[in-house]
Amino acid sequence: MTAVIEARGLKKSYGSTTAVDSVSFAIQPGRIVGLIGPNGAGKTTLFKAILGLTQFDGELRVLGRDPRSERNELMQDVCFIADVAVLPRWLRVSQALDFVGGVHPRFDRSRATDFLAKTDIKMSSRVRELSKGMITQLHLALILAIDARLLVLDEPTLGLDLLFRRQFYDTLLNDYFDKQRTIVLTTHQVEEIENLLTDVIFINRGHVVLDSAVDSLPERYIQLTVTAEHAAQARQLRPFYEREVFGRVAMFFEGRAAAELGAATNGLGEMRTPSVADLFVAKMQRGVV
Amino acid sequence: MSTPDTNLSSADTRVAEGPPMSAAAQRSTVQTITMLIRREFWEHRALWMAPLVIAVLLVACAFVVHIGPNAQRFWSDDSNRLALFGLTQWGLTVPQYLVMAIVLSFYLLDCMYVERKDRSILFWKSMPVSDAATVASKLLTALVVVPLGVYLLTVVTNLLFSVILITRGSLGGAPGLSAWDTVVWLKAEALVLYGVIVSAFWYAPMAAYLVLVSAWARRSVFLWATLPPLFAIIVERLAFGTRYVTGLIEYRTWGIWKAINLGHSMEHTMTHGDHHIPSLAGVFDTLHVSGPFLNIDLWLGLAVAAGFAFAAARIRRYRDDT
Repeated sequence: MTAVIEARGLKKSYGSTTAVDSVSFAIQPGRIVGLIGPNGAGKTTLFKAILGLTQFDGELRVLGRDPRSERNELMQDVCFIADVAVLPRWLRVSQALDFVGGVHPRFDRSRATDFLAKTDIKMSSRVRELSKGMITQLHLALILAIDARLLVLDEPTLGLDLLFRRQFYDTLLNDYFDKQRTIVLTTHQVEEIENLLTDVIFINRGHVVLDSAVDSLPERYIQLTVTAEHAAQARQLRPFYEREVFGRVAMFFEGRAAAELGAATNGLGEMRTPSVADLFVAKMQRGVV
Repeated sequence: MSTPDTNLSSADTRVAEGPPMSAAAQRSTVQTITMLIRREFWEHRALWMAPLVIAVLLVACAFVVHIGPNAQRFWSDDSNRLALFGLTQWGLTVPQYLVMAIVLSFYLLDCMYVERKDRSILFWKSMPVSDAATVASKLLTALVVVPLGVYLLTVVTNLLFSVILITRGSLGGAPGLSAWDTVVWLKAEALVLYGVIVSAFWYAPMAAYLVLVSAWARRSVFLWATLPPLFAIIVERLAFGTRYVTGLIEYRTWGIWKAINLGHSMEHTMTHGDHHIPSLAGVFDTLHVSGPFLNIDLWLGLAVAAGFAFAAARIRRYRDDT
């Protein structure tokens, strides 16, 4: 299968700071990949490399192209929404449609107007007259009307209320996503998107900490919640992270330890697959210790 | 929120080819640049509003300008009347081009800076538009589209001005004012158009310099545009006592007249008492159309302009500070 994004030894430094350190991963078509990491982990740098917005060392192919040298061709098939890519305040809604239609060969204006018709956005409005939620809706309308193969979303719902956020992801999933497309996104609201992800990549301090399909997480990770008296016994099974919740201890196991634990089915406590959010915290906390 | 079907079969390899796109759906460079130029007029409304305001003011002037007995006596001479007619056609365009020069200078300084200031640059860069096309659209706007638009506007303005003035003269009992000579008019308009075309070449390096500063400066574009030349002038004066930079800037600003060789043509003037009136028709008749284009300085300037434009596009392409 030809990967949509393939990185090998991708490296980027700003002066003496290494933002991304020899990262390798591959993203397959038709997936929704969450790129998850704390602030300063290197997510944005990675995105900028993928979008050809920054120089880097190592190898990176996006849709088979090198974003450094083939950016113009690449942007025919790649769309992105970033919280730092702001629609200019002077732009009218109708002008935005004219513009994207005028420069983008894959833009379907009727799709965008259909979507906008469901919102309160007027064609004659300028961006400066719209609320933050409406601006994101407009941006989404423009992007969803483009028949692109890769959509990159960097904190697309930052600063939006829960209703807008929910609506954003519902629209993305119902009106846009199909097996022809690939979506890569970051957000700090991991809980809200973990149900829609097919893959997760955790990144911390410029390194990939976890790269897995969500489907295969149960084989690799187990969360065991035990009462305090069983804690010492459970600890012998070598959890990589533990956390106290309401007097009980949640322990996280991975790899062989997790497999052994699953086979043992001992009555120590309650076993389940950790949520992406919990797993993220566990992985990151261990990274700090 | 529903979970998407994650059962991917190997049949999905065809995804790599992507959705089909017909040749007709491709955007040509011309289409893209046309759209980019339209965009400039949306964002920088002064580009079209300023000339319209000046045009309205000029036409309004035709209603209030004083027609005194002196003017009538002076205009009773046929050749003077025609010369003055031609000169008026030219003189009416002066305020337009002065204002245009100011508006365009500020536009060029702003055009690549404002997208970084309002953080919209990543939105523009999310479109399949090359940085070279973006820079080209700004330069074409300033050197071709706006000057030609202003030119067409001055043609209309001048016609309206003349019609109003002639009508007023006839109604006010000064039929001597009804000077209209189509040949003189055409020559005067052709001369201005010629000037507009030569200007596009001559001023290209200055325009490209402003675009480069606009693309490069992180703040205070105006200072970055003006201080380096000023600094160069002062350092040169102190260090070498020469005025080479000053001369270069002056030459680029006013040298166009020398390149067109108007000085030579200005000898063809009409005189009446103390008045010396250059005859535009005469200037037109003796004009060496190819003159400026045989001037190596014009082509050197274009080469410098191309270098500046290339640098501006590279900066926009590779700068990484968003």
